[in-house]
Formats: sequence, structure tokens, C-alpha cells
Amino acid sequence: MRTKISVLFFFLLGITLYAQDRTITGTVTSMEDGLPIPSANVLIKGTSTGTSTDFDGNYTISAKQGDVIEFSYIGFKTVEITVANQNTLNIALETQVSDLEEVVIIGYGSQKKSDLTGAITTVDSEVIEKTPNSNVMQSLQGKVPGVQITSAGSPGDSPNVRIRGINTLNGSQNPLYVVDGNWYDNIDFLDNSQIESVSVLKDVSSTAIFGQRGSNGVIIIKTKGGKKGSKPVITYNGYTGIQHAQNVLKMANAEQFVTMVYESGSAADIQYVENAIQRFGRSRVNPNIPNVNTDWYREVLRDAPITNHSLGITGGGENSNYGINTSYFAQEGILDMKNEYERFNIQGNIDIDVSDRFKVGVNSAFSNATKYNPENGAWFQAYFAVPILPKYDYTNTAADPIPFSDATLLGYRGSQNPFPAMTFNDNQLRIRKLLTSIYAEYYLIPDKLSFKTTYYNDYSTILERNVRLPYFISGQSQRQVSSIRRANLTTSNQMWDNLLTYSDTFGKHSVKAIAGTSYRDLHSNSFSATGEDISAVDFESSWYLNFADPDSFNGRVFESASRFYYMSYLGRLEYGFDDKYLFNATVRREGDSRFPREIWKTTPQFGLGWVISKEKFLNDSNFINFLKLRATWGQLSNGSLSGSSGTNTINTIVTAIDDTQTNGIIGSTTFQNLKREIMEETNIGISARLFNSRLSLEADYYIRDIKDLVASREVPITGNFVRDNIGEMRNKGFEFAANWNQTINDNWKFSIGGNIATLDNEVTKLDNGRGYIDTGSAEFRQRIEVGEPVNYFFGLEVAGVYQNDTEVANDPVAVDNGLVPGDFKYVDQNNDGVIDDNDRVNIGSYLPTFNYGANLKVSYKNFDLSIDMQGQSGNQILNRKRGEVIFTNDTNMDADFAINRWHGEGTTNSYPSAAGRRRAWNQKLSSFFIEDGAYFRIQNIQLAYTIKSGTLLGDNMPETRVYFTADRPFTFFNYNGFNPEVANGVDRQTYPVPAVYTVGVNVKI
Amino acid sequence: MKNLKQNFKQLTLLLAVGFTFFNCNDKLEEIEGQVATDDLDYTISSDMILPLIGAYSTTYTRGWEDPLLVGVRGDDVNAGGLGDQPLFAETDLYNYDNGFWMYNQVWKNFYGDIVDVLNAGEIIQRYGDLATGSYVDLANQYVAETKVLSGFQHLQMSRLWGNIYIIQNPADPQIDIDNGIDSKMEVMQYVSDLMDEAIPYLPDARPNEREDVPGGVTKYTALAVKALANLEMEDYQGVAEATEEIISSNKFSLFPDYYELFKKPGKLCNENLFELQFSDYNTDSGDVNNHLFAPFGPSSWTPVVETASGGWGFYEPSLKFIKFMLDRGDQTRLVTSVCFTPRGIDEIMEDPAYATLPNYVSNTTPSGDIFNDYPRAMFASGKHYLPSTQLTPGRNSYGSSKNLIAIRYAEILLMYAEALTQGATGTVMTADEAVNSVRARVNMPALSGVTTDDVIDEKFAELAMEWGIRYFDMIRLNRYDELSYEGRTFTADDEYLPYPQAQVDLLPLE
Repeated sequence: MRTKISVLFFFLLGITLYAQDRTITGTVTSMEDGLPIPSANVLIKGTSTGTSTDFDGNYTISAKQGDVIEFSYIGFKTVEITVANQNTLNIALETQVSDLEEVVIIGYGSQKKSDLTGAITTVDSEVIEKTPNSNVMQSLQGKVPGVQITSAGSPGDSPNVRIRGINTLNGSQNPLYVVDGNWYDNIDFLDNSQIESVSVLKDVSSTAIFGQRGSNGVIIIKTKGGKKGSKPVITYNGYTGIQHAQNVLKMANAEQFVTMVYESGSAADIQYVENAIQRFGRSRVNPNIPNVNTDWYREVLRDAPITNHSLGITGGGENSNYGINTSYFAQEGILDMKNEYERFNIQGNIDIDVSDRFKVGVNSAFSNATKYNPENGAWFQAYFAVPILPKYDYTNTAADPIPFSDATLLGYRGSQNPFPAMTFNDNQLRIRKLLTSIYAEYYLIPDKLSFKTTYYNDYSTILERNVRLPYFISGQSQRQVSSIRRANLTTSNQMWDNLLTYSDTFGKHSVKAIAGTSYRDLHSNSFSATGEDISAVDFESSWYLNFADPDSFNGRVFESASRFYYMSYLGRLEYGFDDKYLFNATVRREGDSRFPREIWKTTPQFGLGWVISKEKFLNDSNFINFLKLRATWGQLSNGSLSGSSGTNTINTIVTAIDDTQTNGIIGSTTFQNLKREIMEETNIGISARLFNSRLSLEADYYIRDIKDLVASREVPITGNFVRDNIGEMRNKGFEFAANWNQTINDNWKFSIGGNIATLDNEVTKLDNGRGYIDTGSAEFRQRIEVGEPVNYFFGLEVAGVYQNDTEVANDPVAVDNGLVPGDFKYVDQNNDGVIDDNDRVNIGSYLPTFNYGANLKVSYKNFDLSIDMQGQSGNQILNRKRGEVIFTNDTNMDADFAINRWHGEGTTNSYPSAAGRRRAWNQKLSSFFIEDGAYFRIQNIQLAYTIKSGTLLGDNMPETRVYFTADRPFTFFNYNGFNPEVANGVDRQTYPVPAVYTVGVNVKI
Repeated sequence: MKNLKQNFKQLTLLLAVGFTFFNCNDKLEEIEGQVATDDLDYTISSDMILPLIGAYSTTYTRGWEDPLLVGVRGDDVNAGGLGDQPLFAETDLYNYDNGFWMYNQVWKNFYGDIVDVLNAGEIIQRYGDLATGSYVDLANQYVAETKVLSGFQHLQMSRLWGNIYIIQNPADPQIDIDNGIDSKMEVMQYVSDLMDEAIPYLPDARPNEREDVPGGVTKYTALAVKALANLEMEDYQGVAEATEEIISSNKFSLFPDYYELFKKPGKLCNENLFELQFSDYNTDSGDVNNHLFAPFGPSSWTPVVETASGGWGFYEPSLKFIKFMLDRGDQTRLVTSVCFTPRGIDEIMEDPAYATLPNYVSNTTPSGDIFNDYPRAMFASGKHYLPSTQLTPGRNSYGSSKNLIAIRYAEILLMYAEALTQGATGTVMTADEAVNSVRARVNMPALSGVTTDDVIDEKFAELAMEWGIRYFDMIRLNRYDELSYEGRTFTADDEYLPYPQAQVDLLPLE
């Protein structure tokens, strides 16, 4: 209606002022989607002469040469063109980045960005689309201060997301995802190109309304839906590319390995080397080493393809809008085995206004994925396998069907070769998810009071098939009969929300209130059975339990289930005065059957905002366009903890009594009975727009206490680990983000942005007489202690390496412990003249204290180039691969160790000798195994060319964007591992994160 | 305004519907998918066997490191596994590092089992409290069995670490921790008393005579554990009395074939007072309950059944033991106790005194499996070896379905004999008779006028490689010179393992 009036108005205006020299015609379109803009203003600058565009974006105006014509429209940047002698002026308007008017979805409602009081960061589709990955969160790495994302290398795996440091030691760290109002724990069913925007709700006050499920932060995702009365838009987006392993860890080669063996003096190991020489011959270069030099990482790695196609249609009619999307994603893993992920998604949503008061809508998505899990043990084996073992051993004629080599044939304890597992194991998962929601909303008082009821169900099944094929390599490495394990995990997550929303304004006062209930029923069931000896095992078509030996099922059929119920009552009040003073409060009372000790818990939240720029003294400032101070406080209980049994329980077992399977039960002697873990946070922040809104700034400081912190502690004597509320922990941090946007001229534009986040973690209280709780494993000790970062690495500090006999003889510690040159010298922390467990100290924390990111985007005409960077520092990594020498030491080691080992006075003061490497003294957890985890990465480089819609060679050509992307092409770090991204700081076995190079195309019709 | 009222009516209605529908608060108190111990139906007396089977399962399920660590320090056996697990080899050399993972693991294995076994006793007692008729006695018997299992494990713990906690409160071990550490003598006295408590309720039968739990604990198992505890206390009269009661029952006899005693034919034979039972159920597929015997196996061999797996080459019989046996001409027991490799045989012959060896010293076992050279060890333990020909077809893991004998009648006879030579009195037979009955089985000539030294030698020959019996005899008798062999030096400080670092950090130890 409004459109019609303005058309009429401008039409009239046009007639009265019509009398000019030159007639100029043209079309005004949107730069973003190429669609015509109706009712755009076309005005001769400095006059009241003007017109507006018609429904198809066309206009006609008379102007004199030298006049400046101004094209403007709400939500778009104004463009000025000086009239020369042209008769046609086609203008594409660029979207105005006045995001303050933007509406942000905040959970059970929405708010104008300028009204927010919490810490919320929004990322738009452009950033997300340029990352070739199956998971949206991967795209956010380095983009949002305070959000640490650890990539997952394995196809189909989700990255690890941590918002504002570590907030729970035991539950999942993953945030809640709210996609178009529907709640999910995992969004691997979502295609990146479907997404319009992602908002990250970081502080407790923003997430409070979501209750305990929001305790890890909330990621709100808006998908590209249609708008009422808009024409259908068809979008295709596709890319294809290759993944390549970067920074592959250099292992000791055969020569370095053999040198280490000889220097170690271990007779058995020297014998293994001789056995290898006998079996595989002597190297012609160095006759002391076998004629084998296997780089196991190179053997197990491959370059792997990644590809994605998605097709979407959005649009709307008079009373409805809709969106339909289909996508196909396929990715192979860089581990050279059947290791891949393939996903097909279909999704659709429709919203209908049945009447002015009554609205209904439905949203449904189906995701069908097939995933072949890697044998992750291969990474571990590739590290440890000795380089004097080839991949194949053709002298082993007994091997069937493939003559893989086997280290036990050289005398080693383990077979070491990762290929039998990679070749003869098949781990298939068929993952199907159906996610549906339906809502009805009725306005009891038009525009003021509404009642909305929503029902959600996300239902997923994972059908797992693990097939083990028979093979023979040696007595130690063989599988005589095949086996098949089938597992079916079904999860049904139902929610029913009922909500009353009231909003009104009285003069300068605005009020919005909601009250509601939420009910949830989470039911999961897992069923598995294992059979052996599959008939016709050579054919995949027979890989079903039906074809296995029925006698073999005995004792291998399992079912387990859990079902939890949740009930919540919630309310929120938002009040604003003159858009200047903002106040909000939320309360949520939640019942949860997982906590039999404390079923009900009420958590409150408050927020305050002051828009200083609306005060008179700043009203007309050209420098400060917008300035707001924010402060919030809130509490939330952690919803990611697993259920407590609250009582001792029974397990059934089978044991052999007189060669007969006999049933029995074992009762537990310890059980979990948790109180709620409470997060309490104070957040203060500032938001500003400066220099004609070219510079935007967001800064936040928070103090977050985790009360009744849940940690796993060992119950003495029982050997059991039980989760318990053990104390309190504090995370503090400062987050800052700045962005500068500028259009230099018609051709050149750029934007530059950066963000930093600090994190300071400290345990503040422990309800435990000993003053500490040991975590990690006995050999790789970590500790929770007041005044220290949580789970710090606890060990000895290396002072140096004993260089010569005199140095040993002069040090009583060395004499007492029978040390020799090449052994570590530890710091005697308590100066008591002995090195023992009392000298263990904090030797590092796995939590990064500083994360940063930066991005630069430059566009010239139709080209645009963007570069993203990110990194972290302050964290340490326990190089547990090196440390595993404590369990087995006749294996390989990384080249850095072999090259830098102590081998004579003055060679090094930080590495032990080859012999020392095998001695217990040097294997104690010490600062030697703790390494700097800092890294800097060029996260993403994208170069794109956009072809505007128009005609090409006589055919209609839709708007097309062609791009080349290099994702994670370069990473810089000092850590002696594959990958500095180790979420929990203990690097034992991580799937390397590859660089991805893709080319893609995006077409809009 | 009327309109507004109308609206509120609708609203009230909606809310009412909403809230009643959602009044599911009682559901919040349900926990699905678990069986609480309190929810068992304790009136079903026939179910009281289930927790007992659980207690046996717990006791049988042993970590692979348990028997290795228990036995490795004796002069009968060396660590083997060279190049691998150096701290295990250091333990064999009496150089203890309290950070070694095996110490902590074994500590946790035994204590965890004690807690579970005692807890099974408490569950059985709940059945017993509601039982009637013969089930009352049965509950008492089952509870008594759990005491024997607990006593056996306390004994093993105290042998390794000396002073330990006695655990009696599975629901709250903190009570036991607060009671403080008990000396080794206190622990052994506790075990002895615990057996006296259990004996009246236990069946007067050989374990293999039991029908409900064949191979389970009987009165004689308890007596055997009591004898072992008294032996540790050097209460030889106590040893004599307990063993005499076993001998005079006439229920036990030595299995005629010493070699087969440790193989499948010896399972649940009349010689065994207590054995850890395992099985692959004689089927080629399906679930198994096996002990991991691989650490005892050779890392290179040519078995008769080609697909049979070898092992890791830990636990190597010592040259000292082999030469001791050769000196005695103890053929059957040497061939049973030791599997030779060619390299090992060469090593023996390097000593001029053993330059020529009898024919029975061969790297082919009596069952035909050929042990090849491997760098990790020169010999393998024969008592932990199951011939490949005895494997169930389709089952290839080393020692699949083999039992681990814990206490056998030969040890009872020799404990009895030693007690008499140490001055105790016993009437059922003389020390000579006891020793000679053991010797007779393996065709060793009879002795007369046996001394303590003779008995100890006989124990060495008969019980080598089994449960550290030799080591614990040596430290009991302070024969440090015997333990100072093949380059080792043993001192009094080396008798017990240090408390594991992880336990020192967790418990008020030291």
C-alpha cells in the first residue's frame, strides 16, 4: 500500500516539475541480487526535482548536463552521478550497512540491534559461503572474538566450538544451535549456502532465555527464506576442490632411526635392525641400515576431493512465503582408505497468514548422509611404525590376500603396519535425520498480544556397520574369520513450547514481555549385535547379520536406552525509554530429570543499556554516529552434563564357569549424583559507530564464574572415577572487534577488520581437603588446583642436560639416581637436594590466553579479493606421542628428536640422548614434553569475479559469480606435531586438518 | 473493552489447556534405562547366585600385568620383553620407579576387585535377609565365598606392598582409609581370621565337586588361603593346622600328568583348590572370556597349528632356574616349566658345566610346537603355554581357553612339609611323605629326612613361575643371597614395591 502511495506522490511531483533539457532513462537494481528496485528515489541534487522508479525499477528523468542525479532507496547506499551526455543510466545500488536497524533474533523473539544489551556478534552469509566445509561453524574460525573453534579434519566430523573459554569440564562444549527458531545440538544437516546470517550469543544474559541448553552459548542461524510478495529467486552454488595435508610431521628416516637404535645400546633393538637387514637387504648408500626407508605418513596420506552443489528457491505470495533448498556434499578423507562423507539434504519451509490474526508455518528438513569412518589408529601407528619396515613384504609368502609387512617378523612386539586395519576394516555409518517443526500463532490483541505454540521433533537414526575382513599376515597379525557389528542408534528429541508475547509502546516507553512453558522429551536407544564368519564375505551385498554364523551372536547383543524429561517456565521483560535507556530481565525455572538431587532450578538475568549517542550532547556529532554502553548479569545452569543415576546400579556380566557361559550381576559401588553446575556472568560492553559509520567497534569485558564445577575425580580404593561438584572456576576475558568499510570510488572498495580476545582461566575454590584434584592419566598428570588454570600440566621442569661425567659426579642428584651424560637435569623446586614428586609444578596450560583474527576485503570493479587470518597463543600442548615412549620404546620418533638428540658434550641442552630417551628418569612428565601451541594461519583467501546479469552473445545471462578459494593454505607454528589445533591440549592422535583448494560458481536467476 | 475481555477468556482457556497438558512434573523423577541396586527383587532367593557369579567374574578378570608384576622379581624368572617396558625390566632388577604405570594399574586392579567382591557380599546379604529355608544357609555360604575372594586379593596386595589398607566397607572405603594403613602382619592376621569366619559356612567339598559353581570356593580354598597368610606371618603351626585339614580330607590328589596339569586336561582337576577360570566355550566364534596370555608367549614360533598366534616375549624363566633343574635331573618339571629357543639353549651351553645337554632340552615342546629365536627373550614360561594343538579350532590367541591355577594341592603339601621342618607339629603325614608325594609324580627319587632347604628347593622346582611363590618365600626367609643372582644385588629395602605415585597423590600414604 505504502509503495503505491509513494509512486503516486512522486509521479505527481514528476509532472509538476517536468521541463528539462535532456531525457535520461534507466533501471535501478540491487547490487546484491540484481533485482530491480521499485520506488527508488531519483532526484536532481540541490533541487526538489525528481522521480521514482516503477515496479520494474525503470525511471525517466530530465536533467541538464552537469546536474548531479542522486539515486537513493531505504536500506541502500545513495549513489550520485554527474550528467554528461548520456541518455541511459543504469544504476546498481549497494546495500547500506546500517546494521543498527537490523533485527536480531534473540530467542523467543527478536530485537533491534541497537537495543541489544548483551554480547552478540553477527556474521553474514558472505563469510560463511566462502569456506568449503560441511559445517557452518568451521567458517566462523577467527571471525568472532571469544569463540575458539578447533577444526576437525575427518570428513563429516564437526569442529570443536568453545565460547569464552572452557565452561564445563565434563559436558559437551558445543553450543546450542537455533535455526529459524528450531533448536539443535548439531547442525551437520545444514548446507553453508543456505545460510543468511549467523549470530553468536556469547554472554549469559543473551542466552538466559534458552535456559540450560544455552549454557555453552547459542548460535542463531537464519536461513535464506523468501519474503512476502517477492519474486521467486533460484540460486545455484557449487564448488569442487582438493584437500591436501599441510605441515606433515617429519619422522626420523631409516638412517636417523638406526642411529638412535645403535646409540641407545639396546641389544634387542639392534637385533631388530639386523633382522630387517637380513630380510630386506642392506642400503647401498649406508650398509649399516636396511634397504628400506618408509615415510609412514606419506604412505597413509592422500589428496582427497571435496565437492558441493546446492540449489535453492525462495519467494513469496501475498499471504505466504517459502523457501526450498536441496544440496549435495561429498568429501573424501586424506587418510588413504575408505574414509568419506556424502550428504544429501532437502529442506523446505512455508509461513502462511491464514488471517490478520492467525499465522501458521511448517519447517522440515531431511538429511541423508553416508559416512565411512577412518581407522584413526592409523595416525598413531604411522607415527610409531619403524621406518625400516616397508609397506609390503613380498618375502612373506604366507600372507593372504595382501602381503603387508609386519614388524613382529622383525622381532617387535606389535605388528606396527597401519595398512591391515586400513584395508580390512570397513566402518560405515548411515546417518538419517528428519527435523520438523510446526507452529501456530494467534494474535489475541492485534499487534500487541499473541499466543504461539510450536512443536518440534528432530528424529535421527545412525545405522552403523563395522565389517572386519579376514586376512593373514603373521601369527600376531591375522583375522581368521570375518565379523560384522551392526548398531542402530535412534534419537527422538521432542519439544513443545507455548508462548505469550506482549508488546506495546506508550509515548516514549516501550514494553515487551513474554511468558511461556517449554517441555522436552529426549529419548535415545541404542541396539547393537555382532556376528562372525559372514557367508560370501567377498561381496558387500552379504554384509548383514543374517549371513553370519548365528552361534556367534551369543553374548554380543546389546541394548541400552535413556530417556530424559525437561520442563521449563520462562519469562522476559524488556523495557525501553526513548530508545535511550534500555532494561531487560529474564527468569527461567527448569526441571530436569537428569539431576535427581536437584530437579528444579531457577536462574535469573538482568541487562542495562544506555545509548549515549542519543543524548543531546552527542546528537549532532559527525564523529560519533552511535555509542552505547551495555551491562548484564546472569546465571545459567549447565545443560550439557550427562544424567546422574542418583543411586547404585546393576550391570549384567557373563563369565566362564566350567567352560559354560554363566550370567551374573555386578553392583556399582559409586555413582553420580550431581547438583547443577551454575555459570554466573557479568558482562560490560560498548558498541560504537564512528566516522560516518565507516568504523564499527564492539568491546566486551566479562567475568564468568562456574560454581559447583563438575569434574571427574577418582574415588580412592575403588579405582572408579565419579563426577562430582568440586569447586569453582573463573574465566575472565576482553573481546574487541573493529571493522572499517570504505568506498573509495566507483571501482575501488575495501573493508578491513580485526578482532582479539583474551582469556584468563583460574580455579578459585576446591571443596576437597587435599587442595587439588588429579586429572589426566597417571603418567600424564594434569591437575586442578586453586589459583591455577584448570587441568594444567603437572610435572618436572627441565633445567638442562648433563653434559659430561664431571657434571654428573658433582651433582648428588645425578649420583643418587645413577645418571649419565645425556640425561635430563631437573629443577629442584623445593631446594631439598633431591628430585622427587615434590618438585612437580605447573608446566603449562592448554588454554590459549590470546586469540586473534583479521580480514581484508578489496574489490575492484567486478573482482573481489578477501584474505582472512587467525591465530592463537598462550597455550601449551602435551606432545603425548613423544611421551608414549613410556609404554613402548622400540618405536620410531619424530625427526626433530632424532636430529637434536644429545650425542656428546655441547650438542644440546634440551634433548636427552638416544639411550636416555629409554630411561625412566627422562620419561617422567616434564617440560620437555610440553610445547608451545601458538599458531598463526592464513585462514582463507578468495578471489572472485562477478558477471552482472545481462545478455551475453544474445542469450540471457543470469548473475554469476566465479570464485577460487584456498582455505587454510598456510599455518605457522613451532609445535612438533601435525597440527597445533588440539582441543584438549593432549596430542595423541589427531586427524590432520588439510588445506582445501576449490573453484566454485554461484548463479542467481 | 468487551473485545479485550473476550481475548482474556481465550487466553485463560489456552493457558489452562497448556499447563494441564504439561503437568508432567512427576515424569521428572523417573530415570529410564537403568536398574538400581535397590530395585532388585530380593525375595527371589534363587537370584542370589547372580552377585556371587559377579564376584567370581571380577576376580577372574585380571589385567595382563597382574601375574607378571606379582611374579617377576623371583630368581625363577626374568622380565624378558627386552627393549620394551624397561621399567618392568628394572623392577626385575629391584630398581623401582613409583611412577611406573604397572604398579598403579595392579594396585587399582586388586583394590577395585576387593571393593566389588565385598559389594557382591552385601547384595547377597540383602537376599539372605529375606530368604527362608535352605536359602538362608546358601546366602551365608555365598557371603563366605566373597570373604575368601577378598582375602585372597588382600594377600596378593600385601605381598607386593607390605603395609596396605584393609578394606571392609565397599560402600565407603573412606572409613577404611581413615582407619589407617595396616602392617603386613596385621593384614595377614586379618586374612587368616577372615578365613576362620568363612569356613563354617563353606561347602565341605573339592571345588570341582560343587554343582552350583564348579571350581568355586570351598572350605578347602579358605584353608589354603589361611595357610598362605600364616606362612607369611611365619606362624608355622598355623600353616601346619590349615594344610593338615586339607590333606586329611583325602579329597585332593596330584594330577598324574604334571605337563598336562597346566594345559586343558588340568582344568578343574582334583589338584586345584583355586583357579581363575577362562573359556572360549569350545566354539569357533562368539564371545570369549579369556585371560590375555600373550605376554607369556614367544614373539617367534612355528606352531603345529599354523594360524596360532604367539606372544610378546615377557616373563622369561631364568638361567639360574634352568641350571638348578638340570642339576637335579628334574626332567618333567623343567620341560613343563620352560619353553626353550635355540638361542637360549646356546646360552646355557656357553657355561662349560652345561656344554652337553640332555636330549629333552629342545626348542620343540612335547606337543610339537617349535619355539624360534626372538630378541626379546631366550625362554618362555611353559606353565603359561597352551599347545597350539589344544586350541579350539578357529581360536588363535595364545592360551585361549586356558585357566590360570592359583592354588594347587602340591603347594599345600609343600607348605605342610615346610611347616614341619620349621618346628610345627602335624600328624597326617611326615614332611618326607609330603615332599616325596610331590616328587613321585614327576619320577623324582624319594628323599628322607628333608630339611627346610630341601622343601624350599622342592618348592622352587615344583612351583616356579607361579604367582611369585618363589620370591615371597625368599623374602620371608631373608634369603637375599638367592635373589642376588645374575648380576643383581638384593637388599632388605627391595622387599616391597613403592606405593604408586598416583596413589600417593590420592591417598594419605607415607
